[in-house]
Amino acid sequence: MALDLAQLPKTEAQDSRHRALIQGSHLTKIYATSTGPLVALDDVSFDIREGEFVSLVGPSGCGKSTLLSLLGGLEERSEGTLTLNGQDLDRPRPDIGFMLQTAVLFPWRSVMENIRLPGAILGLDRKAQAERCQELLELVGLAGFGDRYPNELSGGMRQRVALARLLAHDPDVLLMDEPFGALDEFTRETMNLELLRIWSATGKTVVFVTHNIGEAVFLSDRVFVMTPRPGRLAGVVEIDLPRPRQTEMMREPRYSELVFDIRHMLGVD
Amino acid sequence: MTIAYDQSIAGDAETGRASTIERHIAQEKARARRKRMTNRLLAAGFGMFVLFLWWLFSALGLIHRLIIPPPGEVLSAFFRVASASYFWPNVMVTLSEIAAGFALGLASGVVFGVSVAMFESVRATIYPYLVALQAPPKIVLAPIFVTWFGFDEASKIAMAVVMSFFPMFLNTLTGLASVEPNAVKLMRSLTASRWQTFRYLLLPNALPTMMAGVKLCWTLAVLGVVVGEFVGASAGIGYLIHAFNFQLDISGVFVLILLLSIFTLVVYQLIENLEKKIIFWSGM
Ligand SMILES: Nc1ncnc2c1ncn2[C@@H]1O[C@H](COP(=O)(O)OP(=O)(O)O)[C@@H](O)[C@H]1O
Ligand SMILES: [Mg+2]
Repeated sequence: MALDLAQLPKTEAQDSRHRALIQGSHLTKIYATSTGPLVALDDVSFDIREGEFVSLVGPSGCGKSTLLSLLGGLEERSEGTLTLNGQDLDRPRPDIGFMLQTAVLFPWRSVMENIRLPGAILGLDRKAQAERCQELLELVGLAGFGDRYPNELSGGMRQRVALARLLAHDPDVLLMDEPFGALDEFTRETMNLELLRIWSATGKTVVFVTHNIGEAVFLSDRVFVMTPRPGRLAGVVEIDLPRPRQTEMMREPRYSELVFDIRHMLGVD
Repeated sequence: MTIAYDQSIAGDAETGRASTIERHIAQEKARARRKRMTNRLLAAGFGMFVLFLWWLFSALGLIHRLIIPPPGEVLSAFFRVASASYFWPNVMVTLSEIAAGFALGLASGVVFGVSVAMFESVRATIYPYLVALQAPPKIVLAPIFVTWFGFDEASKIAMAVVMSFFPMFLNTLTGLASVEPNAVKLMRSLTASRWQTFRYLLLPNALPTMMAGVKLCWTLAVLGVVVGEFVGASAGIGYLIHAFNFQLDISGVFVLILLLSIFTLVVYQLIENLEKKIIFWSGM
C-alpha cells in the first residue's frame, strides 16, 4: 500500500489525509496518590493522522483512559509535548468530541434535548442544530424517540443517543473510551459497524479505546498496543485489512494473524 | 436469521421492541395505581379505628376529659373557637410568621448552599462556622430572640429561619456536590463555562435533594414559629394554645393542634405535588 501511494503523483487531498494531525512526544503522566507517585503513562510518543481510525488496546490500568484524557485536554500532562495541528493541546476544544463507556445522559432532558446539549453549550445556530440533530437521531436509528427520556431507554439505545450527541457539534476528532464496552456482544457489533459507516462517511479522526483485541483489529487503521506498570506504548500495528470491513473478515487468516501479533506484544500467550 | 441480522445494521432489534416496552410501562403504572389505592384504604381504615377507640374509651369513662377530651367535645370546641372574634387575627399572625420564616429560611439556605458549593473561597471562609452554629439546640435561642426582636412577629420569624435554614443549606450543598464525575468530564470536554455547568448539570442534578430539603425546611419553619410563640408572644396560634392550656380548655388546645397539623400537612402535600412536577424524571 505504502509503495503504491509513493508512486502516485501526490495530490493536495492525499497529503492532508496522511498528515499527522495529533503529535505526542515523550508524554508522561504521573498521578500523586496516597501511596506515592503513580506513573500512569511513561514516555509515550506517537502520531495520529488526519482521518485515521486508531485504537488503543491493552489490559486495564495500562493508561488508555489517561492517554485519551490527555488527548481531550482534560488532564494536565506531567512531561512531554502534545499538539493538534501544531497547537498545544492543553485544554478541551470544541473540535474534539469525547464519548465514554456510560452514556452520561441527563435524565431531565429528553433524548433530543440531550443531543442538543453540545449545540446549546457552544451557542450554535438553533435552527441548523435542530435539523442536524434530527438527522443524527435518524442516523443512529432512533427516529421517533426524540421526545422520550433516558430512563425509558435500554443500554444500547442510550449509547446510540450518546453517539448522536458526540456528533452534534461536528467535531473533527472523536475520542471514544470503551464506548460500547458495557453493551452485550450483539449490540456492540452492530454499533461498531455503525461507527465504521459514520466514520467512512465523514472522514473524522477516531481514537478508540478498547480492551478487546479483535474489535481493535476489525475497526482500525492502526492499533496502539499498550502495556501496564508503567503505562507504555509497546508497539503500533498497521492493520492492512481492506475496507470496507465486514464481519466475515474475522474468518480470514490475516485477521487472526494480526490478533495474535497483538496478543504476543501484550505477552498474553 | 443471519440475513436479518446483517440488515439490522442501521436499525436495532431494541427499537422494534418499543411497543412492548410501552405496554409494559402501562401495566406497571396500573399496578402502581392499584397499590396506591390499597395503601390509602388501609390508612383511612386505621384512622377510623383509632377514632372509634378514642370515642369508646371516652364514652366508657376510661380517660379523663381533661387529659383527652372526647371527639364530640373537640368538634363543638372547633365551632366555638372558629367563631370567636379573636380566632382569625391570631391565625393570620401565625400564618404570616410561618410564610415569612419559611421563605427566608429556604432562600438563605439556597443562597448559602450555592455559594459554598460553587466558590472555594466562600466554602473555606464560612463553612466551618455554619456547621459549628448547628451544634447548640436552636430552641435555646428562643428567649434571646424575644429579648432581641421583641414579642411581635420578628422573633418568631427569626426562630423559624434559624430552624429551617440548615437543612435547606445542607441539602443544596449535598445536591450540588453529588454529581457523577463523568458528567462533569462531559461538560468540560464540551468547553462549558462554570455557569453553564451549573445551569445544565449541577442545578437540575441537585433538585431531588433540594426538594427533600424544602420539605424539612417547611416542617421546621412551622416548629420554629410555634416554639417562638410559646416562649413569648402576644398573638398567634402558639400563644392561644398556651392560653387555652392555662385555662384548662383542653378541647380548645386540641382544636388548635389539629388545625395546625392539617395546615402543615396540606402545604407539605402541595410541596410534594410540586416536587413530582419539578423532578418528573425520577418517577419514570
Ligand atoms: N485520577 C487518578 N488519580 C490517581 N491514579 C489514577 C487516576 N486515573 C488513573 N489512575 C491510575 O493510572 C493508571 C492508568 O489508569 P487508566 O488510564 O484509567 O487505565 P486504563 O484506562 O487503561 O484502564 C491506573 O493504575 C490507575 O489506577
Ligand atoms: Mg479506562
